[in-house]
Amino acid sequence: MITRINVGPIHPGTHGVLRLLVDVDGDTIKRVETHIGFLHRGVEKLVETRMYMQSPPYMEKLDYIAPLAFDELLVAAIEGALGVEVKERAQYIRVIQLELQRIASHLLWLGTLANDVGQLATVFMWAFSDRDKVMRLLEESSGTRMFYVNQRIGGLIRDQPPDFKEHALPLLDYLEKRIPEFEATLEKNPIFTQRMKGIGVLGKEDAINFGVTGPVLRGSGINYDTRSNQDYYVYKKLNFAPQIQYRGDSYSRYKVRMLELRESIKVVRNALNKMPEGDALGLPVRLINPAVKNRIVRVSRETPRGEGMMYMVADPQRPYRLSIRSPSFVNLSVLDHISREHRFADLFAILASLDPVMADVDR
Amino acid sequence: MSIGNPFMWLTQALQSANIVSNIEALIVYAIFIAVLISVFDYLFGWVERKMIAKAHLRHGPTYVGKYGILQNLADFIKLLSKENIIPRNADRLLFMTMLPLLLAFSVFLIFLVPLSPTLQATNLGLGLLIIFVTLSFVPSIVFLGGVATGNKFADISAQRSVIMLVSYELPVILVLVAVSTLANGFNLGSIVAAQSPYWFIILMPLGFVIFFIGMLAELERPPFDIREADSELIAGWFTDYSSPYYMLGLFLDYTRMLLGSLLIAIIFLGGWLGPSFLPPMFWLLAKAVIISLAIVFIRVATVRMRINSLLRFGWIYLLPLSIINLIVTFIIFVK
Repeated sequence: MITRINVGPIHPGTHGVLRLLVDVDGDTIKRVETHIGFLHRGVEKLVETRMYMQSPPYMEKLDYIAPLAFDELLVAAIEGALGVEVKERAQYIRVIQLELQRIASHLLWLGTLANDVGQLATVFMWAFSDRDKVMRLLEESSGTRMFYVNQRIGGLIRDQPPDFKEHALPLLDYLEKRIPEFEATLEKNPIFTQRMKGIGVLGKEDAINFGVTGPVLRGSGINYDTRSNQDYYVYKKLNFAPQIQYRGDSYSRYKVRMLELRESIKVVRNALNKMPEGDALGLPVRLINPAVKNRIVRVSRETPRGEGMMYMVADPQRPYRLSIRSPSFVNLSVLDHISREHRFADLFAILASLDPVMADVDR
Repeated sequence: MSIGNPFMWLTQALQSANIVSNIEALIVYAIFIAVLISVFDYLFGWVERKMIAKAHLRHGPTYVGKYGILQNLADFIKLLSKENIIPRNADRLLFMTMLPLLLAFSVFLIFLVPLSPTLQATNLGLGLLIIFVTLSFVPSIVFLGGVATGNKFADISAQRSVIMLVSYELPVILVLVAVSTLANGFNLGSIVAAQSPYWFIILMPLGFVIFFIGMLAELERPPFDIREADSELIAGWFTDYSSPYYMLGLFLDYTRMLLGSLLIAIIFLGGWLGPSFLPPMFWLLAKAVIISLAIVFIRVATVRMRINSLLRFGWIYLLPLSIINLIVTFIIFVK
């Protein structure tokens, strides 16, 4: 007998306002219907009604786990439209901030994943306290704790504080010691590996056909990372390598993110050591009738959840049209495909391994 | 050592059950047990919160009373003062009776457990058997309680509770058979007496491990909190129980934990045996508290098992191991 269960939009396992209609036969999932749109705000339209530099605060609320990623993405699109080159020191600082943001985002993901496979919030609390340390570091360089709004056209609102490096390096060392602890708590537990390995397998071809990106794609064994494939900023100089796993299951996606944490720490450390002296300030916020060089721009960046992309048709005062490719939206679309014939308990482990942010899905 | 004629043995066991004739003493003992359970539930609730907070790098309750010791009292008052909501499509009678019935079962079983050679309500010859037969009713009550709420999450949880029963009950019973062979009977007092040189945990460590895992499942403690898996089933069969019933459920949790720890302490850790400078009951309760703390430690560290892997775990590992344990015990100790 097939029972239809309504999960969400308010449910401890869905992390936000996601509603799932799950057809279960006993404890086995037969079909998952995803209902989204509870958080739709029409951000793309909002941006079209505002001047260029009034929009980044809206972008930050797209992916509230990693606000900086989309903030920087819009600013990069505007820079592309106006044909502004980013100063070299500003590039380094941006890379540092984006990677720190990725660390914070992955730490939060790790905590919620541990919660969803049924741990009593232990790793959750540890990861949250570590994430807070990273956020404090970002606060030092931007002034706010969560929504930074510190990107300006061609640079940043201000340079890093002079003692930033002295504060950042010990934190990176600390995090490098912490990550094995998290892994030991989870991976040495056979119940955890049993609940992750072979669960929610997304094959190579399916991954390409669904268009997933980010850790979900790399977990399926495809070497595609916007940071190396599209080659923006100074990632090439920082000895960056994309992390790939080959099984395509929840465990691979978990492992990719854990390896990315280490990779991000390495990149930040390299960037801190190689950062040139100079000027990092961007143009002022109030740009009256900026000269648009390229009317149509397409920019993509590796956000913590996958490839975020912005397609902008630029007018002199404000964007004529802005279209956002949300990585969470595409990644969420595979949920039905990979969770069929699994147990009801696995649905939430799979969902956590996809790591969607609902504000980003609904835009 | 031989088991002898089973029917002879059974009648002897039943005759040795001397129900206390002195009704006043029985009432005093019942009040004592009620106070014991309340104090344990209250204090251990606080201890568990503090311990988990320490493991999480938090502080836990701090504001109400010294070290937050009155926090549970505050929660208790709050839950009592809230409205009790019974869902429209719930079976009202079952909904209102199942939780109190479960609590009554657990309290009754603690009442049957002897706390020392002299401090016990009754000396049942088949004490162990009676306790475990009663305990195996629990999943069916949970099943009824879950179905009664008319909630689909509770339905899934109720189904899981039946699957759980078949996965851990048999290995536990087989371990108990081995225990009763060693102790020459099912009387809890004689089980403790039989452990006087060596505790049963030393004589059959494998049996202890199986029994401990079985009790974790029996008590719905992580990693076997499959029935009330909060990240998937919200609270499982417990989802629609609000305010006073929710409080009863919390009480039930700790009461059953006390029962489980007492049973583990009596069957494997020598019960009230210990140095004589402290009364025997102290040793039993101290062992029970240590076991409860161990259960909380496991809760902090582990993740939840899936229902089908529990079934596989029960049948592929626990059951054969418990049979091996039984055979080894027979070969070594029965002559």
